[in-house]
Amino acid sequence: MRRNLLGGSAKYPSPIRHHETMTQTSTETLHAGDDFEGLRDARTTDRLGPYLLGVWNRREWTWYVAASELRSRQVNSILGNLWHLLSPLLQVGVFFIFFGLILEVDRGVDNFIGYLAVGIFTYLFTQKATMAGGRSMTKYRPLMQLISFPRALMPVTATLTEALAAAPAFLVMFIVALSSGESPSLAWFLVAPVFAVQTAFNAGLALCVARAVSRVFDIQQVLPFIFRLGFYASGVLFNVNAYLEGNSLRILFELNPIYCFIEVNRGLVLGDQSVDWSLAVTGAIWAVAMLVVGLIWFRGAEDRYGDDR
Amino acid sequence: MTPDRPPISISIEDVHVRFRVFEDRELRLAELARRGFRSRRASEVQALQGVSAQIRVGESVGVLGRNGSGKSTLLRCIAGVQPMITGRVRIRGRAQLLAVNAALDGKLSGRRNVLLGGLAMGIPRVEIEERMDEVIAFAELEDAINRPMRTYSSGMKARLTFSIATMTAPPILLIDEALAVGDRKFRRKSLERVREMQQNAGTLLMVTHNLNEIRSTCQRALWIDHGRLVADGPAEDIVDAYEANDD
Repeated sequence: MRRNLLGGSAKYPSPIRHHETMTQTSTETLHAGDDFEGLRDARTTDRLGPYLLGVWNRREWTWYVAASELRSRQVNSILGNLWHLLSPLLQVGVFFIFFGLILEVDRGVDNFIGYLAVGIFTYLFTQKATMAGGRSMTKYRPLMQLISFPRALMPVTATLTEALAAAPAFLVMFIVALSSGESPSLAWFLVAPVFAVQTAFNAGLALCVARAVSRVFDIQQVLPFIFRLGFYASGVLFNVNAYLEGNSLRILFELNPIYCFIEVNRGLVLGDQSVDWSLAVTGAIWAVAMLVVGLIWFRGAEDRYGDDR
Repeated sequence: MTPDRPPISISIEDVHVRFRVFEDRELRLAELARRGFRSRRASEVQALQGVSAQIRVGESVGVLGRNGSGKSTLLRCIAGVQPMITGRVRIRGRAQLLAVNAALDGKLSGRRNVLLGGLAMGIPRVEIEERMDEVIAFAELEDAINRPMRTYSSGMKARLTFSIATMTAPPILLIDEALAVGDRKFRRKSLERVREMQQNAGTLLMVTHNLNEIRSTCQRALWIDHGRLVADGPAEDIVDAYEANDD
């Protein structure tokens, strides 16, 4: 039985074959055909369509990972899941004390605390998702070394985890709005589609960052500063319209996707702000472009992820 | 090529693997200026240098070699998780890698890890839940299954990992020293399962330093040294040669 499986003595003249003869045999067998029928490449070498299908087919894993992650984040604290609500509340409180009460940058805004809440949560959503996308390649590395699957799944899962984590913060946003005198309106429901569009944008950005970080790890160190810069350049803390009336710099804000998401959300949530629909269109175009570019660029290095130790 | 032989299950074709490694040492400015930023502290390690082999359906193959010779890297290539410089690996069906440092999450319970592992392998959730009790029973973890995995001993982890990886009998099973940490009884039990799977038209590749295990489980052996395949033949002959070389 054993000898049969090994092909008999003709194929293996001596018990030990050396590497040189080895190569010859393999090229010879390569042309033999039949036996090789039905083999596929061990790696994921799919074209874009099947590749995306591979990501989609593992959606159950993604949801389960995201849910487990959120559960385990607060597992050692006394207040537990309450922190998902408390920490955004504290964040708004701190910014309100400094920028609303001490520095008084609330020019042209009636409900400044509501204004801040929408700005901060919308901005931090993109920041956290992108940073998590960069970390995902190291975080899920043990899994990457064990199972073959489309690697885009990792930044995408990180983005969706952050989307779930951001949901309570958006809830706090509505609570702050209500308690600062806003009355609920049907427009509030439109925050959900904006959130979805922003999630798509985040996923695209996270894919780009994931590939960049996996090549040049130092980028991970620079990212927090870039996002700190973006924080001030996205009108999170002040009303851009009041400060840059008629200034040509305004166009830079209007082309900034995060500024677009923030302003549209403000228009929907706050009574004294109106929605600038051109910003909504700019944001949507950014989201689609970012997701497409992110997927294509990330996949370009698909067979190199994990070549370092 | 005789027609009655089983078809090829794994075809390893001239595989070369190189790792980028960031060395843990001081970087001197003079050196940085000389070598430029591109090279940084990264150096390269040749893990596999042109390995070729064909393995047929139903074969059980042991992989021998000293520590760091490239055995684990070869298994990762077959599992499709290892970037290669040149060459390719083709397989028939799904290959499941089983390693000691398996991707389990210590913060979560054993039960959640069964689900996570199964989903990552692409098994539908309903099917995993159907097999859940069976998986737990095989790992002998009925009492500890709801505790966080970080509280498990290394033997308990190894048992659960093995149980998860073999829950759907993959056509190709790659075992990387995963049986080494289990106790005698579990090793016997898992070897039995492995043989059973292999007899049902499964292909087995096994890295282990336990030469008796290769003698008793494998028909064929590959001997790898410094990233090269130095010998390929009947398990007993190769093991004998390896032992003679070691002493």
